[in-house]
Amino acid sequence: MARSIFPNPKPPFYRDTRTIAVLVQLVFLVGVLLAGWFLYNNMTTRLAAANTTTGGALSWNFLSQTAGFGISEGPAFQPEESYGRAYWVGVVNTLRVGLTGVLLATVVGLLAGVARVSNNWLLRQLAGVYVDLFRSTPLLVQLLFWYVGVIAALPNIQDAAELGNLGYLTNRGMYLSWPQLTATGLAWNGWLLGGGGVAVVVAWLQRRRLRRSGRLGSGLLAGVVAGGIVAAAGYAVVAANATLPTATTYELRRGDRGTLFEDRNGNGTLEPAIDQTLAHVPITLYGAQDEVVAHGSTEQDGTFRFADLPAEAVRLTWSTPPPLVLSEPQRQGFNFRGGVSLTPEFAALLLALFVYTGAFIAEIVRAGISAVGKGQWEASRALGLSTGATLQMIVLPQALRVIIPPLTSQYLNLVKNSSLAIAVGYPDLFNVSRTIVNQTGAEVQGIVLVMATYLTFSLVTSLFMNWYNRRVALVER
Amino acid sequence: MATGIPPTHWVNPNPPAPSQKPPATTVGGIGWLRAHLFSTAANSVLTLATLWVLYWIGERLARWLAGAFWEPIWANRKLFATGIYPSEQLGQPAVVLLLVCALFGLSAGRWGSIMRTVGIGLAALLLLLALIPLGGMAQAVMAAGLALLLGGYWLGARGWVASRWLVAGWVLSGPLTFVLLLGGVELPLLGASPAVDSSLWGGLMLTMLLAVVGIALSFPVGVLLALGRRSKLPVIRYFSIGYIELIRGVPLITLLFMGMTMLPLFLPGGWGNPSQLVRAMTAITFFSAAYLAENVRGGLQAIPKGQYEAADALGLSGLDSLRFIILPQALVKVIPAIVGQFIGLFKDTSLVSLVGLLELVAVAKAVIQQPEWLGVAGGVAKEVYVFVGLIFFLFSYGMSFASRRLESKLGFGKR
Repeated sequence: MARSIFPNPKPPFYRDTRTIAVLVQLVFLVGVLLAGWFLYNNMTTRLAAANTTTGGALSWNFLSQTAGFGISEGPAFQPEESYGRAYWVGVVNTLRVGLTGVLLATVVGLLAGVARVSNNWLLRQLAGVYVDLFRSTPLLVQLLFWYVGVIAALPNIQDAAELGNLGYLTNRGMYLSWPQLTATGLAWNGWLLGGGGVAVVVAWLQRRRLRRSGRLGSGLLAGVVAGGIVAAAGYAVVAANATLPTATTYELRRGDRGTLFEDRNGNGTLEPAIDQTLAHVPITLYGAQDEVVAHGSTEQDGTFRFADLPAEAVRLTWSTPPPLVLSEPQRQGFNFRGGVSLTPEFAALLLALFVYTGAFIAEIVRAGISAVGKGQWEASRALGLSTGATLQMIVLPQALRVIIPPLTSQYLNLVKNSSLAIAVGYPDLFNVSRTIVNQTGAEVQGIVLVMATYLTFSLVTSLFMNWYNRRVALVER
Repeated sequence: MATGIPPTHWVNPNPPAPSQKPPATTVGGIGWLRAHLFSTAANSVLTLATLWVLYWIGERLARWLAGAFWEPIWANRKLFATGIYPSEQLGQPAVVLLLVCALFGLSAGRWGSIMRTVGIGLAALLLLLALIPLGGMAQAVMAAGLALLLGGYWLGARGWVASRWLVAGWVLSGPLTFVLLLGGVELPLLGASPAVDSSLWGGLMLTMLLAVVGIALSFPVGVLLALGRRSKLPVIRYFSIGYIELIRGVPLITLLFMGMTMLPLFLPGGWGNPSQLVRAMTAITFFSAAYLAENVRGGLQAIPKGQYEAADALGLSGLDSLRFIILPQALVKVIPAIVGQFIGLFKDTSLVSLVGLLELVAVAKAVIQQPEWLGVAGGVAKEVYVFVGLIFFLFSYGMSFASRRLESKLGFGKR
């Protein structure tokens, strides 16, 4: 073996970059661990001294304890239920406002973004003002403005502002007409499900047919039409044949209110765990002399209630409803019944979130469309493609690649920003977690729970959007 | 030219037709209208629909403006500016303002660029405030601030101050601001003043302070995290990634509540409890650092590999190549992104109103609750929130305008 001409071919170990790398990382790791241990130690000492936490310093037992507070909206929640379930209601409420907000923000952002690049000068300016105004003011100010300045200033329930047949606007919330499944609608559910399946299969077949003949398009339209036909046919069949259960009976109280239900165990009394209430069934109330006292229908929860009857009702009859009815809100005393209602908190939060995020999405859409070079439009024109075909096949596929990644982070921002619900008292997950923390003193656990939940949302959204992004991404060599 | 050849006179055999005026429908106001608003039938419909929307909004806006009641804002102008800071000690924030004006003027003159654009906006604002009869010494302070800004610009533009002195001035102004605002010490010009608890700070002053401190303190942390995320050492890289993604995955408000309630828990028993302001600033700094790291990373990634290789070839050590080659280029590239982040942070500081600090939005809430305005029909919430929104808009939009100018100057988006 030839001897190296260098006196010492290997540097000493303390100058070997590999050794240094390991040493640096080791020192860093030890530093982080020491700092973490220091902080954790302080925390447990202080917690032990303060002794505020129920069931030990860092225990999770509180999750199964009785909450003792109510939650104003979202899935039904009783104060006797546990803290864990209360938190779950908060999560559902966050998702409710988050998903609706994402949907509306996308629509608004898309429209405003396209308007920003429109040929029409006036429309372009209007969209520009919208974007600048809402991007440059804090979401919290906008939220409080909508909640305190606009919604609280709406008329009260007595002189509610009517939106034609759509519903009512009041300072206690929005009441909207909404299609709802009736007691016979359950039979239609199967048809709807079948229609969905048919739609997917037909869309897939149509897409394959198009691809084989070398054409573009998604087959979506064919699928929707096929599914719609199945659903419509099902509707006709159900409307013609469905009947209410033979065991249908009712409870009538105080001559003007009660519940219509299927008496499954035949004992004549309503037991919510066993018996099935019947929604949106037309009913007629009769008085003691067999005269008609009132016509009406049951609510979503199978109950009915009439005001100012001429006489007390003693019995009632019912008829079979169609599977689907448009439930319109009706004023009764100091409230509305029927339709769907949005609380002022939900409405303000939703409005603020989608208007704010819509402005950001508009900028993303504008940037995405501008990123597609003018030459692409011109080349497509030269090939003889129509404007619609140019948009569908040339511009949008390229713009989407630019739009998707920032759009994802806007969606995530919207969900994270929904934590501002605490400013207006909407019971989202963060607001509920604060109530839990205030009652139990489980400060650390509360924060960990909230952070873990938001991180899960981020992760799931990122995974989905990354999958979608890969679908639209440029396929390179 | 003395060539001796006589000039030839070339005559156009086909003289151009006498020029005619362009058709009236393609030039002037009508031409513009046709081209931009009524080029096609669909476009005309769109224009009319937009006009209807504008009318709908404008009519409501005009009706509201006609009946709007601005008295609560005028009566509480001091509250909006500085919160419940003791009135007799307003000289201390005034000195801070003057200090910042002087530094801003010098920097704008010395460095130009975005500093000048923002400086012009600041000057306009100071002029406006000096002209409005705010009362007390406020107008005089604004006028003095304007004078310092302009004087500083004049001096700076002539190169009377070295860049390094300016940087030192900015760095020193941070602690000095806190000393001045906290008081309680013998100050050279103001004399002894009673200490002012930081819980009394508020209004626009606090909003600004939180945003500036958030960006300034998060800067070193953010740069380190960005470098860490690009490090070849897995432990450091994964630590940076973990930190950045954790912070970016949760809303600021959770961090603020965490800072408010958990920060004291993390400190040793003997250290006592930090003030609310310090807790909020800590939370904002930790939050902002993660976002800044991502922005700086963008700048680092934009540096071509050749720069690293050239630095290696010159025999620079890793630290030296970062200091002299990589970071100077990367940081200049990310100035617009950092300005954008500053705007975001400026808006986000409104969240500290939810944890009990008296910044602008909290002041707005307090003003709306004042008993004097209970009798006002329709309440005063709209006016107050519109005013606060306007303040935020003025600063955010002004800064984003300056940033856009800088971007076009740096030539971004034109490659």
